[in-house]
Amino acid sequence: MIPDGQAPAAIPAAKYRSQFRIFVDIMRVIQREGNEAKPTRILYGANLSHDRLVKYLEELKELGVIQESGSNEKVYGLTQKGVDCLNSFRKVEAFAGAFGFKI
Amino acid sequence: MEFIAFAIATAVALQAMKGYTLTRERTLLYLNISFLLLGAGLLVDGLANLVVLLSRFHRNFIYLSRLGYTIDFLAQLVAYTILVVVYVQQTRTWSGQIAVAALPIALLESNPFTELILIFLLTYISAQTAINYNISRTTNSLLVFGAFASLALAHVFFLLFTVAPIFFPFAHISQLFGCFLLLGMLFRVNQTR
Repeated sequence: MIPDGQAPAAIPAAKYRSQFRIFVDIMRVIQREGNEAKPTRILYGANLSHDRLVKYLEELKELGVIQESGSNEKVYGLTQKGVDCLNSFRKVEAFAGAFGFKI
Repeated sequence: MEFIAFAIATAVALQAMKGYTLTRERTLLYLNISFLLLGAGLLVDGLANLVVLLSRFHRNFIYLSRLGYTIDFLAQLVAYTILVVVYVQQTRTWSGQIAVAALPIALLESNPFTELILIFLLTYISAQTAINYNISRTTNSLLVFGAFASLALAHVFFLLFTVAPIFFPFAHISQLFGCFLLLGMLFRVNQTR
């Protein structure tokens, strides 16, 4: 047995990611980077183009799930709302995964 | 027993609704509708049986039991069909879709036992959840597979009950066991960090 949540999906992944899925991927990269992620790391980690990354980061800031810091170079971190959102998503992912649904 | 199963089905539906609210994934909405229907059917059947029991099997109320069973059957039929369609869409096999569409019709025409339709649908869902467990090897997917397999077995017992009354308690125990496996999955999912 391997831990739940890290298991490969039973159903092949969708060809295109939904906007919500991209948001989650960005937030996961930030969390993986110790809650201090530079845009370049997010760009590679979430597999996004620069233009799309800028757009999504702005949207996430407006939603209040990430915050920007740093004067010379921008650094992004998750807010408490972002951490809660990511935890909720993990539960939903585990729930859907139990039925074999990929989200 | 129907009331316990109703509560568990509603809990699963609520979890699916929470997921849909967060992600807007349609599969979760279909899961929500499916389990809401299952819960509603169980509630109506349970209430109908309760009224018949409280009336001490008065002949004026006996029809309620049959009505409750019919509503429960229809709710289950729609709920499991939704799940089958979702699984078929996920696997995207046209041959599978044709088989799914054709078999219930064939069963309806050739077999008087409506339970057979539910057994067929549940067997298909059990097979899909078994495939999912075989790939993911997670405890949650094993619990979901166990739940649907138990529900399928329950309907086999309900079918056998028409020829031998001894199978009636086995059917209810199997149904309840399946619901508890789903409850176990829900507890595990909510402990995910």
